[in-house]
Amino acid sequence: MQATTLKPPRERRWSRQNSNPVLGVAMILPAAVALALFQFLPLITAALNSLQSFSPFDQSSTGWVGFDNYLELLADPAFRSALFNTFLYIVLMLGLTIPLALVLAVLIDKRLPGSTWARNAIIGALAASEAVTALIWNQMYEPSSGLFNAILNAMQLPGQPFLTGSGQALISIVVMSVWKDVGLPMLIFLAGLQAIPRELPEAAELDGATERQIFWTITLPLLRPSVIVALFMTTITATRIFTPILIMTQGGPQGSTTNLALYSYLLGFEFQSPGAASASVVCMLLVLALITAAQGLILRDKGAN
Amino acid sequence: MTSMAIPEAATETRTLRFGFLLRHGPTIFLLLAIGFIFVFPIAWAALSSFKSTSDIITGTFPLSWSSFLPTRPTVENYIYLFTELNFQRNLLNTLIAACGQVGIAVVASSLAGYAFARLRFPGNGVVFALLLLTAFVPIEAIIVPLYRIMQWLGLVSTYPALFLPFACNPFGIFLMRQAFRDIPLEMEEAAKIDGAGPFRVFLTIALPNVKPTLATLVLIQFIWAWNAYLWPLVVMQDPNKQIAQVAIANLKSIPNYPMDGPLFAAATAVTIPLVILSIVLQRYYVRGLVTSGMK
Repeated sequence: MQATTLKPPRERRWSRQNSNPVLGVAMILPAAVALALFQFLPLITAALNSLQSFSPFDQSSTGWVGFDNYLELLADPAFRSALFNTFLYIVLMLGLTIPLALVLAVLIDKRLPGSTWARNAIIGALAASEAVTALIWNQMYEPSSGLFNAILNAMQLPGQPFLTGSGQALISIVVMSVWKDVGLPMLIFLAGLQAIPRELPEAAELDGATERQIFWTITLPLLRPSVIVALFMTTITATRIFTPILIMTQGGPQGSTTNLALYSYLLGFEFQSPGAASASVVCMLLVLALITAAQGLILRDKGAN
Repeated sequence: MTSMAIPEAATETRTLRFGFLLRHGPTIFLLLAIGFIFVFPIAWAALSSFKSTSDIITGTFPLSWSSFLPTRPTVENYIYLFTELNFQRNLLNTLIAACGQVGIAVVASSLAGYAFARLRFPGNGVVFALLLLTAFVPIEAIIVPLYRIMQWLGLVSTYPALFLPFACNPFGIFLMRQAFRDIPLEMEEAAKIDGAGPFRVFLTIALPNVKPTLATLVLIQFIWAWNAYLWPLVVMQDPNKQIAQVAIANLKSIPNYPMDGPLFAAATAVTIPLVILSIVLQRYYVRGLVTSGMK
């Protein structure tokens, strides 16, 4: 009874006097206009442009061509490779970031000496800019005079091409991105862990459960909402990886690090091909939508069981 | 009584501390190592900024102390950066863009956030859902048509072009809406009974009550604007108005003229203050990041 008086039901957030349509519309107007102009209009333009052809001289539309741009893309091996790489980035980023973020969050949540140091360091990496991070790692990855090969050399291991090897460039970019971006899912897990009442794992410990059992049977199921959010945000991060690629490899060697974001950018700005660039952007958004929808579906099914 | 208890407690603490270290030693070591890994690249760049360019190129490989530490420390990179390269100009441009973005974000997000939280008007729910939808559209996807819109508005290579498109973002609106919803309705109603109109209530009651969230909004927008790279790269073609991030990246690609020293110096000058800011104000920073995902 007391709880209901303390916490008013949802409907109460609009009090009767607040029915003021003119003021309401006026207050959302600046944000709504800006988002319409700078987010929805480009999005709609991209979708419409993907169905048109353009004059190579003045970039004006020369008419509707249906799905010709998409067919043209599918016939382009560079597009298929960019599409594949987009999935590769997403799979690698999720596979490395989410477990690592979970381990880091559990370690930091122990609140031992060193927890604050580790958390601060991770937050620092997260706040640094993508461009500067890419430039610094680019120096460390430098094959002939870089730090990583100096370390490998000192350990009597063979030097690696890193960003200049078509088999290693993509994973090198992923490793850098994991270092940079693991902080966000880690902070989400940390908030999730701190929301778990301490009594639960403590009671299990009294009953003789090992630390590992507690993690798998109590902590992880309770973290499910955090896992969903972290997966979702990391998927967006992984789909849109762009600045590090542009700075470190420009998509090379031999297109091995080009994803759809970079491919669309190059088509649009370097090759002045708005139709195909727009179609490629729509494909990128479809990939993002498909993967997030699949994640939602899979995780929901698990919850129902 | 108390004088008896103190030495006893001290030995007890000592044995406790020893047992604690024995039990948690490996984890503590692991935490220290994790922190080191995340600090290392930025710290390495900061240390390298005190090496001459030739020391950076020849001193890193093979591995020795000079791979990590400036054995012949010099501030020549910083002098070169702020005299020859006029890097303060780029820093000022970054600051202008960041202040523009923060200013617009605070005003637009507070207004819209309050309207969505408290005012009833037709289409409230639909418009809010539509605005949130844009959170899923990465800038990389809309950059080409957005550039055309800026051309059409005649804003290419102007300061507003740097911050206008991303100052209003769903994150800020969402953050402010959550904050306004958490204010007890009774507070606002009391002001209304005293005869204040809804906009006055917003200014005098609601806004002062969401100061911590405003701090979060300011900090996160500032960090985002400070770190922006791709959009300024595309929309700003006037080198005098170019922001610091793009100017630093340009140092990498000067053919046959290595700029590694100035590059590290510029990266340090831009990154270290921001990293320290985010750590000192992490209460606000982390809450903003986590809120954007959680609710």
